[in-house]
Amino acid sequence: MIRRNLWSKIVLIVVAAFYVLPMIAMARFSFQRVPVIKLGWSTLGKNWTIESLVNAVTSDRFRQAAWLSVRLALLSVVLGLLVLIPTTVYVHVMKRGARSYVEFLSMLPYVVPPIALVVGISGAMKVVGTWFLASPFSLVPFYVVISLPFTFRSLDVSLGAIDLKTLVEASRSLGASWSRTIRSVILPNMKVGIINASFLCFATVLGEFTIASLLLKFTLPAYLAESQGNNPQGTFSVGLLLLVVSSLIFGLMNRLSKRKGQAFSGLTL
Amino acid sequence: MSKHMKVTKRVQIALGFATAGILLGACGSTTASTESTDAAVVSDCPTSDIVDAAKTEGQVNLITLPDTWANYKGILQSYRDKYGIANPVANPDGSSADELTAVETLAGQPDMPDAVDVSPAFAQEFATKGHWEPYQPCLWDEIPTTLKDPNGNWVAAYYGLMAIGANTTVVKEVPTSFAELKDPKYKGLVAINGDPRESGAAFAAVMAASVANGGSFDDILPGIQYFADLKKSGNLSASDVTAASVISGETPLVLDWTYNYPGLAPTLADNGITFQVKVPTDGVYGGFYAQGVVKNSPHQNAAKLWISHLISDEGALGYIVGGAIPARFDALVAAGKVTPEMMANLPDPALLKNIAFPSADQVAKAKEVLAAQWGPMVAGK
Amino acid sequence: MFQQTKSWLGLTPFTLFVAIFLLWPTLSVFRSALQPVEGSSKPAMLEAISGQYLSAILYSVRLSAITAGLGAVIGTLVAISAVSLNQLKGLRNALVGYSAVAANLGGIPLAFAFVASLGMQGLYTKLLSVIGVNLTDLGFKISDFSGIVIVYLYFQIPLMTLVMLPAVDGLKATLKEAAASVGATPRQYWRSIGIPLLSPSLLGGFLLLFANAFSAYATAFALSAGSSKLVSVQIRFYLQGNTITGKSNLGYALAAWMIVVMVLAMSGYLGLRRRSERWRR
Repeated sequence: MIRRNLWSKIVLIVVAAFYVLPMIAMARFSFQRVPVIKLGWSTLGKNWTIESLVNAVTSDRFRQAAWLSVRLALLSVVLGLLVLIPTTVYVHVMKRGARSYVEFLSMLPYVVPPIALVVGISGAMKVVGTWFLASPFSLVPFYVVISLPFTFRSLDVSLGAIDLKTLVEASRSLGASWSRTIRSVILPNMKVGIINASFLCFATVLGEFTIASLLLKFTLPAYLAESQGNNPQGTFSVGLLLLVVSSLIFGLMNRLSKRKGQAFSGLTL
Repeated sequence: MSKHMKVTKRVQIALGFATAGILLGACGSTTASTESTDAAVVSDCPTSDIVDAAKTEGQVNLITLPDTWANYKGILQSYRDKYGIANPVANPDGSSADELTAVETLAGQPDMPDAVDVSPAFAQEFATKGHWEPYQPCLWDEIPTTLKDPNGNWVAAYYGLMAIGANTTVVKEVPTSFAELKDPKYKGLVAINGDPRESGAAFAAVMAASVANGGSFDDILPGIQYFADLKKSGNLSASDVTAASVISGETPLVLDWTYNYPGLAPTLADNGITFQVKVPTDGVYGGFYAQGVVKNSPHQNAAKLWISHLISDEGALGYIVGGAIPARFDALVAAGKVTPEMMANLPDPALLKNIAFPSADQVAKAKEVLAAQWGPMVAGK
Repeated sequence: MFQQTKSWLGLTPFTLFVAIFLLWPTLSVFRSALQPVEGSSKPAMLEAISGQYLSAILYSVRLSAITAGLGAVIGTLVAISAVSLNQLKGLRNALVGYSAVAANLGGIPLAFAFVASLGMQGLYTKLLSVIGVNLTDLGFKISDFSGIVIVYLYFQIPLMTLVMLPAVDGLKATLKEAAASVGATPRQYWRSIGIPLLSPSLLGGFLLLFANAFSAYATAFALSAGSSKLVSVQIRFYLQGNTITGKSNLGYALAAWMIVVMVLAMSGYLGLRRRSERWRR
């Protein structure tokens, strides 16, 4: 038992170092205006400034882009969960055979290049009406599609960890209505999956560049690409800031979601 | 000034004339011609009809014009200052293919691009697909034949030379030719701006290398071989060239257009990095980009005004500040509008005298060879 | 019979959504891929499987498989470690929070972070050279295959962690205790109970990581622009470049082959999973 804990700690420390060290190097580049070749004991403390970061964050362009990206991310999470939760539940409870079908479709977005998605859609939309692509919110269905692999996988794994079919049958045979069953049996068991799916979708949207740039929508990654040329240090420091803030927010949300109870491992009735 | 703030003379001048350029732009100087107008050719400069119509439209949708590319930041600003018309730029870091996609995907939408700036290969594509709205801005006659489309579809408002950009904080001895770049002391230090199968600047670097190694516009193979050798000897760095890689010193010797360097000057100065730009003595290669009005776009007049602006004196002087040679360079020099200090920002005029551009056919043929051979000969090794 | 139809009906919203925004574009990819490239008579897909394109596809498969395998193993170990240290307050939240963000990190920022660390002018390259270890002399370049693998692991490991956490949570503690009380060593437990129970999620996670790496291009491009051997990068040359025009069918053909590779990978996965699930029952 103790040895298990020791190994666990070692693994986590090594991985944590792997995660953190490159970010430290990037931070040093962003905040210190001294090239590595000139770095030495005498120059170690010189020329540190947050000016690049301040310039980037206070610019109107940044605020415009960030606001659009946040809204797109929230909408994508909502739409994604609306589409996927019923679907995943269906394939676990009702029709197990359909799971492979859904799983295959959820993997497909990985290999259809974003450019193909965009060009394919514009062909389809010409039939329906080109107004769709003009709105920045036209990105939302695309974002749901490209985060399908993660979101489906998260929901699927959380349902696969328990024998949902038996639980639902038990619940139904005990007289619970469908809505009660959904509320008290199905959703609580999916909690970890739903949270993970939402985070992954949110983070995906905040980081997606190709589709947004092809449809000329000004999202956060588009802003970062734009400012990379004339303010690289500012751009990377904004990236770091986003990294830290997003991690904190996600971590906090994970904690808040736990307050209602521990991670469920099976029977909850 | 502390040691860290040392800047090369070139960069100082570039900074100095960024201000001068804007001042000159604000003074405004348009020449009015008294020739009669006909449907396609606009002779006075620009006509008040177009200016008024453009102001009514209120906006021109532009695309893929990075701030640090040939001083587009200054040129965009001078347009806004002179006419008060908004000119938002979408997807500044995009490619010419992205511009084509945008024009086709957003056809009929209010944010469809009104004017584009594309590589010669794509200028051809636009023509084939019928996306150009032919427009000959005023002063069309002052543009050399090689820098405009015979059918009036586009103009090449600026061009540049392929040059070696050296981060002299990292590399003490600056190479001045393609032959010198092969020296073992530059191991891992030479980089081209992207993959030539995708990037116009990298493609030009291969063509320039070809010219330097016994090839020509018709024969790009020596250029590909040159880079294959460079990769084999370990001199060629695979890192992507970005502002960050130049500043961090990861790519201290870059092959890129002359007009891509001045934009980096302020940030380089802030970081205490010295920089020099040298056109290789053995391979002088010039390249242009084509600008024109997009057919059926929402703001036709504002777009025409934009093209006129690029050709006008303000636009031309703006390009000079950015290290690019404007199309009407000879006319400007003849009219005495280019001062010797401004000339220092540009490559040696002696090099410009004999500048020749490859024809569309030569470029097409070279692309074929490149697409087939770069992978097996360079990337795959 | 009615039951069967009713249950397929439940999948309608998903199917409709996916049909419009995913299947239609996929079909148009194949439609373009089956047409010939300008100036040739054979369909683009045949051309896209020859010579340098075939080696690009194989190279991508190799890179994806290796990073998926390593990422899967390490990511699972991280998940197991986190669950066994469940009592440590805040660890889980920090891990989930950072993993969600790191899993989506890629492209220029990530590549540059590693260039700034281990590139020719990297911070740690310099630090290592101070203590006498010269990375350049040792032949290490961040733009080489090994360098790219390391950078890819940065987003592969957290992705696997996030996928495996719910699964490892589901490994009921009771089973572990039961195994221990019967005298099984931890290794026996893992071999006979733990891993088989986790195997569907392990396989699924591996597939996810494979697909993730296979379709990635921005990171590899930022690390090794002029030497891009990945098929995902090559597609950009034909569909999103500045030099090559009129060869978009070739780009679509390469994309079509990528889809075919994924279909093959999925089939392999489904076959393996069917076998492992037999145990679970």
